[in-house]
Amino acid sequence: MIRKLPQWELTLVVLTIAAGAWSAYLSPYYLSIDQIADSTRQFVYPGILALGLTVVVILGEIDISVASTLAFGAVLFSKFSAFGVLIWVAAPLVVAACAALGGLNGVLVARLGLPSLAVTLGTMGAFRGLAFILGSEMGYTNFDDRYLFIGSEYAFGPVPASFVLFLAVAVGIGVLTHWTVFGRRCYAIGLNKEASWAAGIDVARLKIQAFALAGALAGLAALVWIGQYGSARGDNADGAILLVVTAVVLGGVDINGGRGGILGVVLALFLLGTMRNGMGLANVPGPIQTIVLGALLIVGVLRPVIVQGLARVRRLVLSRPAIQSD
Amino acid sequence: MPVETEAPGEGDGTRRGLGQYALRFRVSGVAGFLVLLCVAFALLRPAFMTPGNLNAIISNAAILAIVAAAQAVVLITRNLDVSVGSIMGFSAYLTADFAARHPGVGLALLLMPLVIGGALGAINGLLVAYGRVSPLIATLGTLSIYRGLTYVYARGQEITSSRLPHWMNALPDMRFAGIPLLVLIAAALVCLLAAFLNFYALGRRMYAVGSNVSASAFFGLRTKRIVLFAYTLGGVLCGLAGFLYAARVGTVTVVLASGWELTSLAAAVIGGVSVAGGSGNVIGAALGAVVLATIDNGLVLLGIPEFWRMFVQGSAIVLAATADVIIAGQVRHSLRARRRLARP
Repeated sequence: MIRKLPQWELTLVVLTIAAGAWSAYLSPYYLSIDQIADSTRQFVYPGILALGLTVVVILGEIDISVASTLAFGAVLFSKFSAFGVLIWVAAPLVVAACAALGGLNGVLVARLGLPSLAVTLGTMGAFRGLAFILGSEMGYTNFDDRYLFIGSEYAFGPVPASFVLFLAVAVGIGVLTHWTVFGRRCYAIGLNKEASWAAGIDVARLKIQAFALAGALAGLAALVWIGQYGSARGDNADGAILLVVTAVVLGGVDINGGRGGILGVVLALFLLGTMRNGMGLANVPGPIQTIVLGALLIVGVLRPVIVQGLARVRRLVLSRPAIQSD
Repeated sequence: MPVETEAPGEGDGTRRGLGQYALRFRVSGVAGFLVLLCVAFALLRPAFMTPGNLNAIISNAAILAIVAAAQAVVLITRNLDVSVGSIMGFSAYLTADFAARHPGVGLALLLMPLVIGGALGAINGLLVAYGRVSPLIATLGTLSIYRGLTYVYARGQEITSSRLPHWMNALPDMRFAGIPLLVLIAAALVCLLAAFLNFYALGRRMYAVGSNVSASAFFGLRTKRIVLFAYTLGGVLCGLAGFLYAARVGTVTVVLASGWELTSLAAAVIGGVSVAGGSGNVIGAALGAVVLATIDNGLVLLGIPEFWRMFVQGSAIVLAATADVIIAGQVRHSLRARRRLARP
C-alpha cells in the first residue's frame, strides 16, 4: 500500500552533502580538511550522549537526564583532579558513578514502574543539583594537563582523538544493538513489552542495564567535555538535551521504541554537525541556529505523518483515472 | 496483595474501595504536606510565620500556580507541555514591546498576551493532536523555536520598567483587603478552572481522553479537538502568567521565565496531577506551586545554598511520581474488587 520512500539513511547522507555544499557557498573558510576535521570535536559529547539515549529509546523509554549526568560526571572528575588522583583511576570511577546514576533511573522506571519521562525529568533537575552541591557555584578550571588529553589531543593528522573515540563508541553500540542478544532483546521490548516478557525476557533487568549504559556513556562524554573545555561546573552541557534528542529522532529512531538504528543516529549527528559548523562560519546568530534545530526536531518526528500524507496524495492521484473509467 | 473484598454488597458504602480514598488522599495529602512543611520551618525559624513572609510566599506562588494549572490541564489529557516558559517569555516580550511603543494603551493590552499565548499553545496542540508527534518532542522543539523567535525579535534589547505603562508597574503592588491582587487573580483563575474541569462536559471529557484515548474515541469523543483545546487553554493561561510575571519583575528580557517548564511540572506532579493522565486537579497543582514556593522560602531562611533547590525540586518530582504509581495500584485493586462484587 504505502510504497517505502528511499531509505532514510540515504536521505540523511544527501542532506549532509547538501548542507556541506551550502556551507561552502556561504563561507570561504568552510572547505578545508583541517577545519572540517576540527569541527567534529564539538559534536563528540552530544554524539556520545545520543548513542546512549538511542539504546534507551529503542527500549521504548526515554532519558532526558543524560546531560545532567554529564554535568555530575564533570564535577566529580574535577574533584578527582583537585585531589591529584591518577587519571587512569579517576576516569573509570567517573564512568562508574555516572552508570550508577543511570542505573538509578533504570531501577525507578523498571522496578517501581514509574513513567520514564517523569523519572528522568525529576533526575534531570536532581542530578544537576547534585553536581552543583558537589562542586560549587564557582566551577573548577585548574585541571591537570593529563586530565585533558581525551578532548584536546589529536589522534593522527588533523583528526581529533575525541572523534576517534566517538567512532569507536558508535561502532561498539552499533554492534551491541544489532548483533548481540542484549540489543535484539531491546528491540523486542520496544516493539512489544508484554510479548517479550511472556517470551521469557527479564524486561526490568534489561531496562536497568540500558539506563546504566546511557549513564556510563554520559560519564564518558563528561571526560570528553573536560578535555575540550577544561571547565567543570553544575551547568555544564545545560540545554544540550535538545540537540541530543534531535539527533536521535532525526536519525530515524521511533520515539515509541523498537525501530531505528545506530547508523541513522550517527548520520543525523553528521548532518547536525555540518549544519552547525556551516552556520557558525557563516555567522548565523545562535538563536536562529536554535530555531533551525527545533524545526529539524519537529520535522524529524513529523516524518511518518509526512510520508503517509504523500502516500495518500499519490493514492488519490492514481485512483482518479480508475474512477473516471468506470 | 490481599484487599478487603469479603463484605458482600452492602450498598454504596462498601463500593468505595481503598482506591477512592487513596485518590482523595492524594490532593489532601499535598495540603497536609504543606502544613507539615510550614510547621517544620516555623519551628526551625520563627521568622517564617510572620505575616510579611507568608505574604511573600503566596505572592511568589501566585504566578507559578497559574502556570502549574496550565500544565495540569495539559497533563490531564495525558500530554505534556515543556514549552510553557517559552510561551510566557514570547507573549510577555511582545506585549511589553507593544506597550512600550504605544504609551497610553489601556487595559485592552491584556488581550494581547492571551491571544499570543493561545496561538502558541494551539500550534503545540496541532502538532501533538493532528501531527501525532510525541508531546515531549513536539514541545521540546517549540520550546527552542519560541525562545529563538523571542531572541530574533528582541535583537538583544530589553524593555525596562520605565517604558511600561504605569498601571502595569503598579499591578504587583496592588492589594485588595490586604491580599495582593496577583494572589486573588491566581486563586480566582484556579477556582474557575477547577469548576470548569469538574462540572462542565468538556472538562470531564478532558479527563476521559487522558484516562483512555481509544475508549474515548470509541465512545464518540472528538479526542483530537479536546487535546487541541487543552493545549490552547494552557497557552492562554501561560500568556497571562507571562504578562503578570513581566509586570512583577519590571524589566522584560528575552530569557524571562526560562526554566519554568521544570518548575511548573514539578508543581503539578507534586500536586497530584499524574503524568500518566486522567487524574489530579488544578487545585492540587496550585497547592504544589505553594509547596515549592514554601520550600524555596524555607531554604533561604535556613541559609541553605540556592542550588539545593534544583535537587529538592527534582527529587520531589520523583517522589510524587512514586506516590502516584502506588495510588494507581490501589485504585486498580479496588476496581478489581468492585468488579468481583458486581458479579452475581
